[in-house]
Amino acid sequence: MTEETTEENEIVRKMKHLIGKNVLESEVPRPRRIFILVNEKAFGKAIRYLTKKMGFTHVSTITGVDVGKEIEVIYHLNRGGKIELSLKVRVTKDKPVLPTITDLIPGATLYEREVHDLLGVSFEGHPDLSPVILPEGWPPDVYPLRKEWTLKKVQKRIMKGGKQ
Amino acid sequence: MSYPTIRIPFGPQHPFHIEPEYFMFEVDGERVVSVTPRIGYVHRGIEKAIEDRTFIQNLYLIERICGICSNAHTTCYTQAIEEILGVEIPPRARFIRTIIAELERIHNHYLWLGLAAHEIGFETLFMYTWRDREIVMDLLEMVSGNRVHYAMNTIGGVRRDITPEIVEKIRKGLDALEERMRYYKKIAMTEPTISKRTAGIGILKPKDAIALCAVGPTLRASGIKRDVRADDPYIAYDEIPFNVITYDGCDVISRLFVRCDEVFESVNIIRYAMDRLPEGKIRIKVPRRVPEGEAVSRVEAPRGELIHYAKTNGTTKPERYKVRSPTLGNIPSLCKMLVGGYIADIPIIIAGIDPCFSCTDRMAFVNVNNNKQWILSGEELRRYAIKWYQKE
Amino acid sequence: MGLLKWGRTKSPWIIHFNTGGCNACDIEVVAALMPRYDIERFGIIIRGSPRHADVLVVTGPVTRQVKDRLVRIYEQVPEPKSVIAVGSCAISGAPFADCYNVYGGIDTVIPVDVYVPGCPPKPEAIINGIVKLIEKLKAG
Repeated sequence: MTEETTEENEIVRKMKHLIGKNVLESEVPRPRRIFILVNEKAFGKAIRYLTKKMGFTHVSTITGVDVGKEIEVIYHLNRGGKIELSLKVRVTKDKPVLPTITDLIPGATLYEREVHDLLGVSFEGHPDLSPVILPEGWPPDVYPLRKEWTLKKVQKRIMKGGKQ
Repeated sequence: MSYPTIRIPFGPQHPFHIEPEYFMFEVDGERVVSVTPRIGYVHRGIEKAIEDRTFIQNLYLIERICGICSNAHTTCYTQAIEEILGVEIPPRARFIRTIIAELERIHNHYLWLGLAAHEIGFETLFMYTWRDREIVMDLLEMVSGNRVHYAMNTIGGVRRDITPEIVEKIRKGLDALEERMRYYKKIAMTEPTISKRTAGIGILKPKDAIALCAVGPTLRASGIKRDVRADDPYIAYDEIPFNVITYDGCDVISRLFVRCDEVFESVNIIRYAMDRLPEGKIRIKVPRRVPEGEAVSRVEAPRGELIHYAKTNGTTKPERYKVRSPTLGNIPSLCKMLVGGYIADIPIIIAGIDPCFSCTDRMAFVNVNNNKQWILSGEELRRYAIKWYQKE
Repeated sequence: MGLLKWGRTKSPWIIHFNTGGCNACDIEVVAALMPRYDIERFGIIIRGSPRHADVLVVTGPVTRQVKDRLVRIYEQVPEPKSVIAVGSCAISGAPFADCYNVYGGIDTVIPVDVYVPGCPPKPEAIINGIVKLIEKLKAG
């Protein structure tokens, strides 16, 4: 543990103290970067703690990653412009539902809608999850950033009738 | 009450898939009651395409996410990949990257000032700033060989060197740019054409700015001192002293002043970097295969915080690449600024966050009282706004 | 040369539309208007409405969301009309050609008269494209 990352390690320690074994993985690769993977059950508690108590009030963005049978949703949270904490949580593809964080951070509205559009994760309690990025008439079951939808497959599906 | 969806893109200018925003406004007389954004007109599916290309090919694709902050995007990308590779680029490359990044910021802020002047009907200033913007465009062309997509960054360094002759020319250009910006700032402070249309307009209180996750000059104009260059230093910013500009007016004119002052800061950063340009190589060789890993990379683009997330799987192609450009971060705050304002202020408020829009856009208005709907193009709205203010 | 043709070749009014490009071509189109290049000296004016225009200048690859709008804007331009595709994306889709949300070049959707290559083309090249178009109009 170097001196530069004391603060970061302290945050990880506090998270482990809060939710115990529900912190599945944690890493501080360099100063000002933290990656924490938490269990889905403890996600609500973790994010509320980070935003309300730890001062992570800025959400830079939300990323969705397809990791096989599950989708990893990464919340890039920021404290005072400095420490960037990536809180990860995994949901199954069969039932990808997470609680919304727009009640905690109103600025997350568009990021949640984006993840919903591209990976099909729905956010419970979000005021409006209508398509924001994908064009009108997009087939509702095609989530382009999921790995099973390869570029060719997406094209074949949406370009039915060929190019004009 | 249901409203028809909006049909025509609003502001197809900023290039990443989320930038061309399209808004539906509900108005009561002249007041805006609510705003619904619809974005995605320029969604091309870049994130998927990135997964299908090698790291070197991606350099060219990522450069073309945005035509204005192209260098910010590649800086962010190369940084993320270099972090996963665990390589450190040569100091000279870091300084050259900084110089290009700041030249780009000057180019962007001049461009913004011109567009903002256009929105408020101050065409003379529009023409003047764009004329002077050619100075910085010439400098960038001289350094990189292209006016817009500089293609300066590569994984492991930069592709072109800055020679002493070029340094001299940049110095001359900077003197001119600084002097002109001083003049424009004086105009902005004294000229009622600007202050009448921008002071007190598009208010974003600090509390809202934080809650809605605003970034960049929009946030700094609300008095919050946050700048990735200072808070999370990358390339050579930890070695170069500079000030983070804030104003606490929370309105459009504060955003204007923030950008004017940032140009002066950029000029100083470039001068400092050129004085202390380290000797040595400009790039190192890196392996084509990138080991498994992930990285979050942040850059202060001219418009605000730009964040990339990269995940690699040990092959020559990325597993997942995510881009969040600053304008998306500012859209929720933009909606907040618009509500309660006049229709006539819409163009300048939208221009205030610097999404830069062009003239083919449409907006639909729904009048709450009689539920009548009409559609205005950006250009028509601009004319309407200018006329409305002339009547007063 | 008839009066109408004379008028059209002397002052083509253009409308500029971005169909999903990266903005680079757009700022170069605007730069062409600026004092250094000043395309107005050729009688060329950028208009805000397609109904006022003779020439449609399109930049960027055609995205799925924008395709119908492009066709509609093209239809709104009164006859006789011409189209200039500015930039590599507008010509073939360039780096975005295989993206899932992109159709390709402009000519997959509407007919094009003049192509201006470059990524992005310099303002001089854009002016040259318009001059080429004027020559084409004069000839036929």
